[in-house]
Amino acid sequence: MIIIGEKINGAIPSVARAIAERNSDFIRNLAKIQADAGANFIDVCASTDVNIEVETLRWLIDLVQEVTDTPICIDSPHVQAIVEAIPFCKRPGLINSVSGEGDKIDVIFPLIADTKWEVAALLCDDSGISKTAEKRLEVFSHIMKRAGEFNIAPSRLHIDPLVEMLCTSEDGINMIVGVMKEIKRQYPSVHITGGCSNVSFNLPVRKLVNQAFLVLAMNAGMDSGIIDPTNQDLAGMIFATEALLGQDEYCMEYISAFRDGRFGQKK
Amino acid sequence: MAKIEEVKAMVEAGKMRQVPVLVQEALAEGSAAQDILQAMVDSMSVVGDKFSAGEIYVPEMLMSAKAMAKGVDVLKPLMANGSGSSLGTCIIGTVAGDLHDIGKNLVSMMMESAGFAIVDLGVDVPATKWIEAIKDHKNVTLVACSGLLTTTMPALKEAVQTIKGSGLTGFKVIVGGAPVSQQFADEIGADGFAPDAGSAAVKAKELVS
Repeated sequence: MIIIGEKINGAIPSVARAIAERNSDFIRNLAKIQADAGANFIDVCASTDVNIEVETLRWLIDLVQEVTDTPICIDSPHVQAIVEAIPFCKRPGLINSVSGEGDKIDVIFPLIADTKWEVAALLCDDSGISKTAEKRLEVFSHIMKRAGEFNIAPSRLHIDPLVEMLCTSEDGINMIVGVMKEIKRQYPSVHITGGCSNVSFNLPVRKLVNQAFLVLAMNAGMDSGIIDPTNQDLAGMIFATEALLGQDEYCMEYISAFRDGRFGQKK
Repeated sequence: MAKIEEVKAMVEAGKMRQVPVLVQEALAEGSAAQDILQAMVDSMSVVGDKFSAGEIYVPEMLMSAKAMAKGVDVLKPLMANGSGSSLGTCIIGTVAGDLHDIGKNLVSMMMESAGFAIVDLGVDVPATKWIEAIKDHKNVTLVACSGLLTTTMPALKEAVQTIKGSGLTGFKVIVGGAPVSQQFADEIGADGFAPDAGSAAVKAKELVS
């Protein structure tokens, strides 16, 4: 499982405060604890006004890179901010995100064509988020076609099929599971990613729903996730599920992660 | 740290990729194959103790055993007596109802390095199969029966008594395994017992010479 650490995001009130107060230590600590917990990428999202977004990203990225070599995941809804933030990164990371919307692909794909940058791509387009698997898979096909044009290998793509909240879904996550399975059938090496907490929105004891979702999604092919790597319950669930799916010979990863204190610690 | 010590450490850590490389390096450093093997057996006994104490899990012990096996592969050409083994053929296996093979495999490696040709019957070997194997192979000088569970001690007894009562001759029977003692070995009529893999090979030589 590729873990994209989600804790440095201006949408989180404590982070917004740290950004406003330029509290460097707070941000450095968030970077460090996520890197120590085994994050593969550290997501950095400013969630500020557009006019200060790039400078905020720069400040955040610099702080993260002071304490860890874990690659950055540049997270912004504004494609231009991403373009301007790429040079701040010491090493190739992950772009979060493109989609079928507007000119996102036209801007980003040529820019990362001959690099090691990876990119998250959402299965929505100018008509929004479709309710049907067919339409989402059409967006997927379009994204893959464009990636092919720029020689971006499927293994550099993290496809987010966009899980909606469970409480208003008519068939649970069945539709999305179908999309995930079809994506993996077509391109076994493409990554499937997603947030693991949106699904539980507006339900009690959300963490249970999040964990159950994680297990089912991993079973459907999800192998990348935007999560809190320091959450021991979630980390343990990931390792346990990988072992159950036969992705962990003799459960050695599970055992090693436990030995490293990544889960199962007495609180 | 001498390479042979690194070999020990990596067997304990279950590092399958590093062990064969380090074994090569230890040989290059001048360690004798026999000593490297003994070092790995010592590591495995540490691993076994840790397992018994509940400090490590089954997969970790398996990884150590696999790592050692990779190391043994490197040593084999240097120690194997090829076709004509000097001490004859040793039939080895774990008795009926018992699926443990880590200890048995260790003994098997040690026996082989001591100069036996090994016929490994694997695990869960019923009494009749031991007899068949003795009949089917030439120059059987030793039969080694392993039993790791208190619940399979009766099967060990049955195996030894079936072998001893078969009328077949020319070989000695050695037993071993966690619950087995010299006293138990004597009770069931075995010719020899050893508490661990290293001493099993020594005892085996003694029995057949």
